[in-house]
Amino acid sequence: MSTASQADPVLVLEGVSASYGPYRALFDVSFSVPAGAVVALVGANGAGKSTVARVASGLVPASAGRVLLRGHDVTRRRAFEIARMGLAHVTEGRSVFGSLTVEENLTLAFRRALGHGGVADALARAYEVFPRLGERRGQLAGTLSGGEQRMLALSRVLVLRQDVLVVDELSLGLAPVVVDEVYEALGTVRSGGTALVLIEQHVNRAFTIADGVVVLHKGRVAYDGDVAGAAARLDELVLGGPPAAAP
Amino acid sequence: MSDLLVARGISKSFGGVVALSELDFEVAAGEAVGIVGPNGAGKTTLFNCLLGVIPPDTGTVLFDGERIDRLPVWRRSRLGIGRTFQRVELFHGMTVADHLLVAAQARATGRPHVRDLLRRGGPGEEEMAAVASMLALLGLEDVADRPVDGLSLGHARLVELGRALMAAPRLLMLDEPSSGLDVRETERLAGILDDVRHRQGTAVVLVEHDLELVEEVVDRLCVLDFGKMIAVGSVDDVMANAEVRRAYLGSSA
Amino acid sequence: MTTLLDYAIPGVPFGCVFALMAVGLVLTYKASGVFNLAFGAQAFVSSLAFVSFVADGWPRWLAGLVAIVVLGPALGLVLDRVLFRRVRTASPLVKLVPALGLLIALPQVALIVAGSAPDIAPPSLFFDAQRVYLHVASVPISGLELSVTVATVAVVIALVAVFRFTPIGLEMRAVVESPRMTELAGVNAGLVSAFAWVLSSCLAGLAGVLLAPLYAQLDSQNYTVLLVWGIAAAVVARFASLPVALLGGIGLGIGQQVLAGYLPAGILATGLRPSLPFFVLLAFLPFARQRQVDDPLAGCDPPPTALVGEATGYRSANLLAPSGGDGAGHAVAGWHRALQARADRGAGVPSAGAHGVVDRLASRPTLVVAWAVGGLAVLSALTWVPNVWLVTMTQGIAFAVIFVSLTLLTGMSGQISLCQASFAGLGGFVAGQLADHFGTSVLVGMVLGGAVAAVLGVVVALPTLRLAGLPLALATLAFALLADNILFPNSWVGNGATGVTVPRPQLGPIGFNGSRSFFVLALVVLALVAALVRTVGQGRMGRLLAAMRGSELASVSTGIDVHRLRVVAFALSAGLAGVGGALYGSLERSLSPDAFNYQLSLVFLVVAAIVGLGSVSGAVVAGLVFTALQTEVATFPPRFSGLLPVVFGLATLSYTRHPEGIVDFLGGGVLRALGRRRQGAAGAGGGDGPGAGPGPADRSSARTAARSAVATGEVAVPEGGGRS
Repeated sequence: MSTASQADPVLVLEGVSASYGPYRALFDVSFSVPAGAVVALVGANGAGKSTVARVASGLVPASAGRVLLRGHDVTRRRAFEIARMGLAHVTEGRSVFGSLTVEENLTLAFRRALGHGGVADALARAYEVFPRLGERRGQLAGTLSGGEQRMLALSRVLVLRQDVLVVDELSLGLAPVVVDEVYEALGTVRSGGTALVLIEQHVNRAFTIADGVVVLHKGRVAYDGDVAGAAARLDELVLGGPPAAAP
Repeated sequence: MSDLLVARGISKSFGGVVALSELDFEVAAGEAVGIVGPNGAGKTTLFNCLLGVIPPDTGTVLFDGERIDRLPVWRRSRLGIGRTFQRVELFHGMTVADHLLVAAQARATGRPHVRDLLRRGGPGEEEMAAVASMLALLGLEDVADRPVDGLSLGHARLVELGRALMAAPRLLMLDEPSSGLDVRETERLAGILDDVRHRQGTAVVLVEHDLELVEEVVDRLCVLDFGKMIAVGSVDDVMANAEVRRAYLGSSA
Repeated sequence: MTTLLDYAIPGVPFGCVFALMAVGLVLTYKASGVFNLAFGAQAFVSSLAFVSFVADGWPRWLAGLVAIVVLGPALGLVLDRVLFRRVRTASPLVKLVPALGLLIALPQVALIVAGSAPDIAPPSLFFDAQRVYLHVASVPISGLELSVTVATVAVVIALVAVFRFTPIGLEMRAVVESPRMTELAGVNAGLVSAFAWVLSSCLAGLAGVLLAPLYAQLDSQNYTVLLVWGIAAAVVARFASLPVALLGGIGLGIGQQVLAGYLPAGILATGLRPSLPFFVLLAFLPFARQRQVDDPLAGCDPPPTALVGEATGYRSANLLAPSGGDGAGHAVAGWHRALQARADRGAGVPSAGAHGVVDRLASRPTLVVAWAVGGLAVLSALTWVPNVWLVTMTQGIAFAVIFVSLTLLTGMSGQISLCQASFAGLGGFVAGQLADHFGTSVLVGMVLGGAVAAVLGVVVALPTLRLAGLPLALATLAFALLADNILFPNSWVGNGATGVTVPRPQLGPIGFNGSRSFFVLALVVLALVAALVRTVGQGRMGRLLAAMRGSELASVSTGIDVHRLRVVAFALSAGLAGVGGALYGSLERSLSPDAFNYQLSLVFLVVAAIVGLGSVSGAVVAGLVFTALQTEVATFPPRFSGLLPVVFGLATLSYTRHPEGIVDFLGGGVLRALGRRRQGAAGAGGGDGPGAGPGPADRSSARTAARSAVATGEVAVPEGGGRS
C-alpha cells in the first residue's frame, strides 16, 4: 500500500445526515476510510451503524452532506451504480434471495461483474471459501440455516474484488469456528487491496484486524481514531457513559 | 430431577439432506440446557420438530409425561412451552404492548366472547396489570406504544421474549436470543433469564453462539453437529472435548 | 375410442388459448411479483386496437404489429411506473387490489377512447381464421386453431430460453423478492422491472390479437372468462413453471371438450363445463402454496410508510376508550397516557377534557367523516330528500352492511375474500325462498339467511384453512364462480332466470313498505352490524385476528388456534354479508340470480380497499359512495356509461399510495391541520411532556409527524433491520 493511496481515502462521508421518515438516524456524520484499510464501526444498537452502511451503499438517501467513493461524489447515485463502482455491502439480517437457489444467488452477483465466462470460476472459488455452500448449491437459499445464509451473503462479496467492502453484523449467528474462517477470508480480501468497513458485535474481535475505529453514539460520531484509543475508552464511548453501576 | 421434555429418536431430512438423525434430547424441570453447534447442524430444525412447526419423520416427544408429538403447535404452546425465533417473528403492525396483551388473552378461558361484548372490547384490569409488569421487567415501557415494525433488533427480541413469558411457561425455548444485541442488552437478557428461572422455576433451552451468555445461563450443554449430539455434559467438560473444539469452537476456545 | 379422440383433438388448440393466458399470468408473476388479474383486460385493449385499426383500413400486419409491439409494451411501461412498481413487495392484498381495479377499469377506458367496439367480425392476424388447413386424425384444424397452437408453443419455448439462458430471467426473479438487494448486486432494478412488464404486456397484446377472431364480437367479458381458465392452468403450474402452464392449459382444453362430448344435456352440462376450472383450482391450490418471502431490506423505507403500508382493520388496544370510538378502536392515548389516566382517576384528577377530544378526533378522521356524512344523510333522508334518493341511500346502507363484513374478514384478519357477493346473494335468496315457501317473516329470514351464509362461510373456510394470500383469494374466487354456475341457477336457490321475490318485512302492526320506514329499518340493521364488528375489532378476537395477520407462525406459537379463528371469522363475515344481501333483496323486493355475481365480489373488494378497509366507518362510507356514484353514472350518456368502473379503477392509483384508504387519508389531512394548530399553540407554551420522548406514540401521530416533517431531536432510531 503506497502512502499516496493512504492519503487518498477510498470512501469519505462528509457531514452526512439521514432520516427514516420522522426518525432522524444520523447527525452530521463525517469520517473517511483510507484505501486498503480496515475501519471498525461500533456503537450500541440504534446508534446508526446500519444507517451509515446504507447511506454509503445508496440504499438510504442522505438528507445532508456528501458521500465520496474513490473521489467521486456518489451522494445522489442509485445503489446499483455505487455497487458497480466498487462498493459492496453485506446487509444485516437475511441478506440472500430466499426464493433463489444458492447457486443462483451467487450467479446473480457474479454475472454482472465477471460476464458469463467468469461465473463458473467464481462459483468454484466461493465453494472453496465455504465448502458447505457447495454441498447445498441446488437448495433454495431460504431453506438454509441462518448461519449458512450469512456464509452465502459473505461469499458473494469475498470472491469479487472490490474497492470497499461494508459488512453489517459480520459474525451474527455464525459458529465460532466459522467466524474464524470469515476473518481469515477477510484477511485475504484485505491483502488484495480492498478497504473494509466492519460493523461487528464482537468489538474486540474486530479490533484485532482494524486499522481505525469509528464509534457512533445516537447518530453522531463519538470517536474517530486508532484502535488503542478506542479500546481504552470503549465502555464510555459505545455505551454513552460508564456502565450502569452494578449492584 | 423429573424430566419435563423428553424427545426420543427424532429424525428429519429435507429432500435427502439429513437435518436430524435419531436424536434423543431431554430437559428436566427447571433446568437450563444450552445447545450449540456449527451452522446448519440442525438446531433450529430441532426446535421446530419439538414444537410441531415441522413434523419430524420419526420419533416421539413427551411433555410432562404426555405424548405431544401429534398435537398442533398452539396446543403445545398452551401446555406451557414458550419460544422465540432466530429470525424475529412479530405481529406486523401491532404495538409492543399489544404483543403482550395478545399473549395474555390468547389462552383466555371461560367465555371470552361474552366478556368481550360486555366490556365493549377493552382489555381487563388484570390483563393490563400483567402487561404493565412485563413491560417493566423487560424495560420496554418507553417503546410500549411503538409499532414493532420500526424497533431495533434488540428491542424486537425482548418483545418476543416478553410474549413468550406472558403465559408463564414451564419451558422456554430461545433460538439465538442474543443475536443482534449489544453488550448491554445481552447483559440485560441474562439478568431476565436468571430472574425468570429463579422466580418461576422455568426450564430454559438456549440455542446460542454467544458462549459467554451460554456459560452464564446454562446447567448443561449439548453440542449438535450433522443432526447428532456429539457431546453432552457440563459446560467445562464439553468445551474441553476435542471433537467439539474441531467442529465448533475453533480458535476461540 | 375414436369418439374420445374426436373430442380430445379439438381440445388442444382450445387448451392453447387457455395456456396463452396461463403463460402470461405465470410470466408476470415470476417477473414482477404481481398476479396480474388484469392480463385479460390488457389483452382486450390490444385486440380492440387491432380490430379498430383494421376497421379503419390498416393492413392486418401493421395493425397487429402496432397493437402487440407498440401499444402493449407502452401500456406495460405505464402500469409498471405508476402502479405495480410500488406494490412489488407489498402484502398480497395490496398487490391484488390494483390488478382487480385495472381488470374493471381498463376495458372501459379503452372503449371510451375508441368510442365503441368496431362493428366488424374480428379479423385474424395469421392465416384465414375459418379455413381448414389440415386434418389431424381426420379432425379438421382451422387457421385460428393452427395460429394459436403454433404461437403458444413458440412463446413458451422462447420464454423458457430467456429464463434459462439470459441473466435477465434470474434478475427478474431477484427483483421480485428485493429490488434493493438486487441493486446491491449491481443490477438496475428499475430497468429489470420495466422489462418484465414490457415482456408480459407484449404477451398480453399477442394473446389479445390472436384470440380476437375466437368470438363474433369483441367483448372484454370473453377475455375475463378465458382468464379464469388461464388462472386454473397457472395454479396447476404452481405460478412458477411455464411449460407446466402450457400443459395445464392443454389439459383443461381437452377436459372441457371431453366433458362437453360426454355429459348429458341439462343443468349439469351447462353448469359443470364452465365450472371445470374451479374444480381444478380447488384441487391444485393446496400445492401452489407460496413461500411468503419478505424483502429483508424493507426496513430502508421510512417506518411510517411501512406501517400504513396496508390496510389494517386492527388498531392498537384503546385502553382509554370509555365510549364511542371508531370501529376498530385506536390507541389515541397510548400506553403511557392510559396508565397515567388510571393513576389520575385514582387520585381524583379530572381527565383530559377538551384537549383530549380534538386529539382523539384528529386521530380518527374516518370516524369523523363517517359520522358527518352519516348524520347529514339521515337528517336529510328523514326530512326533504326525494324518494328516488332515499332508495339510493337505503341501497347504500345495504351495501355498507356487506362492506362492513369485508372489514371484519379482510381488514381485520387479512383474509382476502373474492366471494363476498356470493355470501350476500345466498342470504338474500334464503330470505326470499323462506318467505315464498313458508311465509317466514323477512326479518326472521334475514337472520336465517345470514345463518345459512355463515354455514357457506364455514364450507369455504374449511378446505382453504392452509391457504393464505393469493391462493386463498383465488380459492374464494373459485367458490364465487361455482356459486354463480352451479348453486344460484337452481330453482331452490336463485330460481334460474326468474329470480326470487323478497317481500318487505312486517313487524306486528308496523310495515316497512314505505321508503322512509325501510330506510330506518336498514339503518338499524347497519347500526347493529357495525356495533358488533366494532366490538369484535376492539376486543380480544380483533386482537387475535390482528396477531394472526401479523404472523401466523408467531400466533400458533403463542397458543392461538388460528384455524378455529379463521373459521369463525369467515362464518361471521359471511353471515353479516348474508344479512346485507337479504336487506338489499327486501329493498328491491326481488333478486335475480346474477344480482350478486362474482364480478360484484371483485368490485366489493376493490371499493372497500380503496375507501378504507381499516375501519367500520370506512366501510359505511364505501357503501354510500359506491351506490351514489352508481346511481349518478346511470344518468350519463351511453358513451360514458363505463365511467363508474373507470373511477374505481383509477382510484386504485390512489390506493397504492394510501393503502389505509382514501377516507382516512383525506379526512386526516383536514383534521391534522387542526391538530397542528393546536399543537403549535401548545408548543409555544413550552411544550408538553419530556422532550426526549420515545417518538411518535401511535400510528396516526407518526403520520402526522412524518407529514409535518418535524424531526425533533434524537428519537430512538429504528435501524429497521429487526425483521430479518
